[in-house]
Amino acid sequence: MPSRSAERTARAQRLIIISLIALALGFLLVVQLRSQAAVARTLAAQDDTSVALLINDLNRANNQLIQQGVALAQQEAQLRQALAAGGTDAQSIQKELTALREINGDVPVHGPGLQIQIQGTVLDFELQDALNSLRNAGAEAMALNGYRIISSTPVQSRGNTLLIDGHAVSAPLSLLVVGDPEQLGPAADLSASSLQTRVQVDIQRQTDIAITEVVTSRPLIYAQLGK
Amino acid sequence: MTVLASVSLATFLVTAAAATQFRSQPLPPSNRLARDEALRQSVNQLEDQNRVLKARVQGLQAQVKAGEDQSANRSSAVQLVKAQLDDQRVIAGLTPLHGPGLTILLHDGADPNDPSDRSLGWTVHYQDLQDIVNVLWAAGAEAVTVNGQRVVPTTAFHYAGVNILVNNASRLTAPYTVTALGNPSSLAGGLGDPDQLAELKSRNRIYGLGFSWLRSTRLSLPAYDATFLVKYAQPIS
Repeated sequence: MPSRSAERTARAQRLIIISLIALALGFLLVVQLRSQAAVARTLAAQDDTSVALLINDLNRANNQLIQQGVALAQQEAQLRQALAAGGTDAQSIQKELTALREINGDVPVHGPGLQIQIQGTVLDFELQDALNSLRNAGAEAMALNGYRIISSTPVQSRGNTLLIDGHAVSAPLSLLVVGDPEQLGPAADLSASSLQTRVQVDIQRQTDIAITEVVTSRPLIYAQLGK
Repeated sequence: MTVLASVSLATFLVTAAAATQFRSQPLPPSNRLARDEALRQSVNQLEDQNRVLKARVQGLQAQVKAGEDQSANRSSAVQLVKAQLDDQRVIAGLTPLHGPGLTILLHDGADPNDPSDRSLGWTVHYQDLQDIVNVLWAAGAEAVTVNGQRVVPTTAFHYAGVNILVNNASRLTAPYTVTALGNPSSLAGGLGDPDQLAELKSRNRIYGLGFSWLRSTRLSLPAYDATFLVKYAQPIS
């Protein structure tokens, strides 16, 4: 009898242990499913508006990448053709050099764009936001009160003084932007709307704007070529 | 043993079923789910296409460069232009670089779940990355990347809804890593300056954004993964 009772207790214990293990396993499985959902949150838990805006930006970027591909394929074909004919296509190489110098702020440029007059002082982050938004709208060249601005140009505030690459600029501010006025316009309007509570902003579309200032490129001291 | 197995299976199923039901309750009706799923699938497809297009652009860039090298070997005049072109490529971020520098880390903090705090200060905003990069340039950075994306003359940080995008709609997600080449002490000095990034530093203390930086003697920065098209600007000769 005692042995049978002991056996029953042991069986009951085993049953409880196995039930507990199964219970724990069930929870673990679900916890794992849920944590996977948390990892995928970046896209999965977004609101539809965010996803729609992302789709819009991806479409725009992909179209630009397609255009870049077409331009590069053309350039390559021209280079090959000249090489096959026993010569060189110096013009195509010169054209690429000019485009890069424009992008790097290394040459004076002109073209359609906007002239934005700001009748007052703005802070560094306000100007940064505006420049960023104009760049996103396809700005190809920008200058503020006689200083060419590219993405690596530091914009800082020291008290109420605005510094462009360490040079103080004071109101009124005149920001010149070369690019597609159709795209730059809405970006400028948006920046102006947040500034206009404090300062007067005047945006003018121009068919031809000249930016004569250039960036003085800094030599690389620490960085070296290659991976 | 049969009893044991049945009990185990039953317990497992009941627990899993209960947990599943708990998860399904907040889910919206199925048509909405299907719509959401379709939208997200579009994003995945477009991001795949984005990667393929970038790879194609990079392949073509390499072919163009090969053609230019060959041309330079044939003519000394072309060689001269080619040397200038290579210099401009370095400035534009079309060349990988390495050297000493700083790695800056940042991630989203803890949601305080406080109805009175609607500032979203616990999340990293695109402006935070833009501000860090700006301070790094001011402190003498020679090249910068954010989550592996090289900051080039056309780089703009912006929002598409809650997404932080940079360089041809590359989506940046936490944790954020900014890498800068330059004098590590100058770069760290710039970030450490109490007058710089004051708002970000204050939020870092409140919400724990993990804002920190490490000095390195050798960092490797990739080149920009696309190219530039100039459509409106003309050089003034």
